[in-house]
Amino acid sequence: MDQPVRIVLAKVGLDGHDRGIKVVARALRDAGMHVIYAGLWQTPEAVVRAVADEDADWLGLSLLSGAHMTLVPRVLDLMKQACLGHVGVIVGGIIPEADISKLTGLGVAKIFGPGTSLEDIVAFLKSPREPVP
Amino acid sequence: MIAELVGRLRQGDRNALARLVSHAARGEHLTELQRALTPSLTPARVVAVTGSGGVGKSSLIGKLISVLRSQNHRVAVLACDPQSPLSGGALLGDRFRMGSTTDDGVFIRSLAALTGHGAVADHLDVVIRLCEKFGFDVVILETVGSGQGDVEVRNLADVVVLLVQPESGDDVQWEKAGILECADVVVVHKADLPTAEQTAAQVRAALDLSPGRDVPVLRVSTKANQGHAELWQAIVALPLRRRQPSPACMLMQSLSDILSAQFREKESAPELAKLAEAWQRGEITEAEAVEKLVRILLMHQPDEPEA
Ligand SMILES: Nc1nc2c(ncn2[C@@H]2O[C@H](COP(=O)(O)OP(=O)(O)OP(=O)(O)O)[C@@H](O)[C@H]2O)c(=O)[nH]1
Ligand SMILES: [Mg+2]
Repeated sequence: MDQPVRIVLAKVGLDGHDRGIKVVARALRDAGMHVIYAGLWQTPEAVVRAVADEDADWLGLSLLSGAHMTLVPRVLDLMKQACLGHVGVIVGGIIPEADISKLTGLGVAKIFGPGTSLEDIVAFLKSPREPVP
Repeated sequence: MIAELVGRLRQGDRNALARLVSHAARGEHLTELQRALTPSLTPARVVAVTGSGGVGKSSLIGKLISVLRSQNHRVAVLACDPQSPLSGGALLGDRFRMGSTTDDGVFIRSLAALTGHGAVADHLDVVIRLCEKFGFDVVILETVGSGQGDVEVRNLADVVVLLVQPESGDDVQWEKAGILECADVVVVHKADLPTAEQTAAQVRAALDLSPGRDVPVLRVSTKANQGHAELWQAIVALPLRRRQPSPACMLMQSLSDILSAQFREKESAPELAKLAEAWQRGEITEAEAVEKLVRILLMHQPDEPEA
């Protein structure tokens, strides 16, 4: 039997908007996933610890604060240090076009900008993943 | 694969613990896991924190973790939330309420509990033993308590802490639900709310109806950061309920584990085949054969090629 996808959802950085991430959390739950909601204002270190201890398949980061070019690479770096290279990372938020390719180049699997439909996110997480070396 | 993961777990590899917990929770490789998990000589104290939704279990556990860490306990928290019977999905939000941490002495794991299986996640007993093996000396279970059906938690935990919150009105619903029966300690949580003392009095009155049980009733407020150290004192004052095998029993268990592991390694060694043949031909008795077998298995033979 297929095991439910386990995903940690967290918001890093200092903005206090969590409506978006909560809506996503609910949609993923309704799509049969196990969603670990780690909440607002997480430090990169705490997020990576949550991913490790929860044995997550995915990490979903939400950022609106514009600090993505420091926070996301930091998270990716800590994940590598924690031997969590097998965990896929998706990012939601307002990311300028120019930064998108930089972040995917660093290892982010997919970036979902404003206006992404919940169906798209579900479909992406449910599609088979290329094995990470 | 399980043996390798258990080896890593013993060496303190958190990722191995996390992966083994996943296997156990899904009911995978259970016999192998059971075999690898010899009873611990220093069993953890397993504390269940239960109560209805929103009573403040996760918040209280978050504060309890601080108390325990200040006393150098190593704490694992297993937070069970219901899984939707329709979609199979689950929203696991307890971790967030416990506060974020990167402390190596704390392990927080969210688990989905299937409806109809009590409020606890499947195979939680194995998960608890994994945490014990890793070196956590306190294991806290968070479960949504719904009343009389929570016997399962009682079997898993040494101490059941029931949380109730102040309510107005004298129609005490937990008394009707029989929920107090399961509790070893009752906490009137959110004691910052005005009717807390009244609620505590009602709980005490309800408990007085079943004489012979001396259940402490404590007021705790996580919001006001009050009562958590006292709660821990009340918990440690209680005996460990989970039955522990005697030390001799544990040694016996280890012996059989070691023998089986050695047997798997040397199963195809020629001397074992020779021994078995000799026994089958009746050249030696079974007792003699077994004695030789044990000797072969326990003997340290550096020159023997690996099977
Ligand atoms: N007034 C007051 N509110 C509290 C206290 N502790 C927690 N709360 C609030 O109670 C609500 C629920 O807290 P949780 O810790 O999520 O409760 P829970 O029992 O774990 O909830 P579930 O896991 O959903 O069953 C939150 O809004 C908390 O802020 C307290 O001591 N006093
Ligand atoms: Mg909770």
